[in-house]
Amino acid sequence: MGSEHGGEKKIEVEYARLRLPFGPVHPALKEPVSLRVTVRGEEVTDVDIFLGHVHRGIESLAEGRNLIQTLYLIERICGICSHSHTTCFTQALEDIGDVRPSERALYLRTLIFEMERIHSHLLFLGIMAYEIGFDTLFMFTWYVREKILDLFEKVTGNRIHHAMNTIGGVRWDLTQQMIREISVSISDVEKSVKHICNYFRDKTAEDRMSGIGGLDHNQALKLCVVGPTARGSGVNIDVRRDHPYAAYNDLKEDFSVITGRGGDVYARTEVRILETFESIKLIRAILDRLPEGPIRPDENAFRIMRRIPEGESISLVEAPRGELLYFVKTDGKGGLRRLKVRTPTFSNLVGLKSMLVGCEIADIPAIVASIDPCLSCTNRITVVDQKSNEVRDIEMNYLRRMVRRS
Amino acid sequence: MNELTAFVVSFPASLLISLLFDGIDRKLHARMQKRIGPPIIQPIYDLIKLFSKERIIPITASTRIFEIMPIISASTSLLAASIVLSNIIVEVSVVGDLILVIYLLAVASIALMIGGSASGNPYSAIGFSRKISMIIAYEIPMFISVISIALGLSPTLTINGIVRFQSNMRAPSLLLRLSAAIAAAAFMICVPAAASVVPFDIPEAKTEIIYGLLVEYGGPYLALAKIAKASSNFTLTLLAATIFLYTPSFLGVNASQISLLLCLATSLAVMFITITLPRTIFARLKVGQAFRFYWMLPLILSTISAILSVVGF
Repeated sequence: MGSEHGGEKKIEVEYARLRLPFGPVHPALKEPVSLRVTVRGEEVTDVDIFLGHVHRGIESLAEGRNLIQTLYLIERICGICSHSHTTCFTQALEDIGDVRPSERALYLRTLIFEMERIHSHLLFLGIMAYEIGFDTLFMFTWYVREKILDLFEKVTGNRIHHAMNTIGGVRWDLTQQMIREISVSISDVEKSVKHICNYFRDKTAEDRMSGIGGLDHNQALKLCVVGPTARGSGVNIDVRRDHPYAAYNDLKEDFSVITGRGGDVYARTEVRILETFESIKLIRAILDRLPEGPIRPDENAFRIMRRIPEGESISLVEAPRGELLYFVKTDGKGGLRRLKVRTPTFSNLVGLKSMLVGCEIADIPAIVASIDPCLSCTNRITVVDQKSNEVRDIEMNYLRRMVRRS
Repeated sequence: MNELTAFVVSFPASLLISLLFDGIDRKLHARMQKRIGPPIIQPIYDLIKLFSKERIIPITASTRIFEIMPIISASTSLLAASIVLSNIIVEVSVVGDLILVIYLLAVASIALMIGGSASGNPYSAIGFSRKISMIIAYEIPMFISVISIALGLSPTLTINGIVRFQSNMRAPSLLLRLSAAIAAAAFMICVPAAASVVPFDIPEAKTEIIYGLLVEYGGPYLALAKIAKASSNFTLTLLAATIFLYTPSFLGVNASQISLLLCLATSLAVMFITITLPRTIFARLKVGQAFRFYWMLPLILSTISAILSVVGF
């Protein structure tokens, strides 16, 4: 065996200072990001972040399609927060075309939105437990998450890609039966999340998570991190409260913005657990006060699409991971001139370096997981570390050429 | 059954039983996590599949060491298992076999360490350094607790001597002497680290360093490493069941088939408490935390037990 390689063998490992490749394929990071971590002993001294392994060119694809097709396309940007993407996109279109969805439609949108937040946060908590080696909690959390996915299937017919939104409303209505089922299921979930909260407050779990991956308030502001990552560092921002969309303006009293103090992995985890309770409160409020009325215009969606004039709009939503921004520019003929998506993970990844430097190898997976990276939606641009030598050739000139070509 | 046949039979038997124990462990673990879990003979299927796979040796590895070490590891841990097992079936009295078993177990894990680090993978290098810290952390209290039991009962270094002492007194040593009870506690706290399961699976933490030492092993080599792991876990639990908790002593029977069954049942219980339960209910510790834990609790416990046993409690 190996002897076939003959004299070519050489081992060039400087054991005092190792460069570890974390990803793009790694059991801890199921997402295609590559972290080149330099370690001395167990301590991390430097980190380079490489993205772009699954660049799919979705923005470019969207420019060749009509608006309804794009709606289905962008739902596939992310498998976890698919509803956030479509909501954000339809909001922009409704703004350009001056289409007002009915109250009931907005409430239903918000309902799916908050259910999605619960399912996303439970997914995160499971992964967090897995990263710190707590497999039982991981299994339990995902078992709870299944209940939410079942609800999605009952309401919209799909577990992941709900296809709930359409221009001017939503596509599926709630029956009384569904409302009853949701409120029963939500109570179950609330009970289970309380258990999960207790497990995370257990000492073995807390020891692994507190005091690592620190990002203090000023750094968080400076690096413009968003969502639970920012709130974990005490930055009080939330699009739902600051720029209310969908039905959040009516529901202002029914939830509060959770902020943490520590700025470490534990604070970010705790923020997400507590946000799950807030989402449960919101869902109860929505089910109580669901207004009557149509869920979408009677007109065919294609007619509405063709009526949307040329124009541009920016739309914001608070996705489970933070602020999601869409810039949409329509061409007035049912198509798009430009679509720009700024996903929350892209903002949060910037903070990763200052969190990682100085930690131990054992903490890397927990820290990376703590920003809940969703890289499938981030991979639309390549980040190049200007300091490292091997990527010198991909610099301004290359980018300039790219710009000229388009 | 004479000594030689017993020993020859116990070699494959210990392989089979340790794989079954591994399967039971996985099943129990799964049931506690609300999963269905694999069939109990899944480890045997795994081995058959792994042995039929291609052998891959990384280009950075030093080939000979990389190839030989899993074989050494598997054979030493199997040997250790069969020594303990044959001691229960027949009365063999080899002076120092207690030390030999502990030594063989250490060799098994060190061989795997050397083999893994010979792969040239940086993750293995980290696994190596972590494993060294862990070995220093758990081997010392473990060894002291075994020595304490050897000193405390009739001073003997044979497993058989300890077994005979317990069956003469009609109670397991755990109940006979305070020092033995403390030593048993120290030993059992060391088992999860020796078996490297959560919370002490630090050297092979899959989410951190991708199985560390085993990262480059695949196919037959991985199968051998799995055998080594399963049989050393089995040896540890069986040893605990023999020298601390020799349940057949209640019946007053000496080495026989009944005592074998009772011993296996006891060691299954020990495995559940020391391996399956911790890995279900705890999160992984960091190297520093684990090291501090082992040098605080088990080391102090085992030292106290050694002092007590010398004094005569």
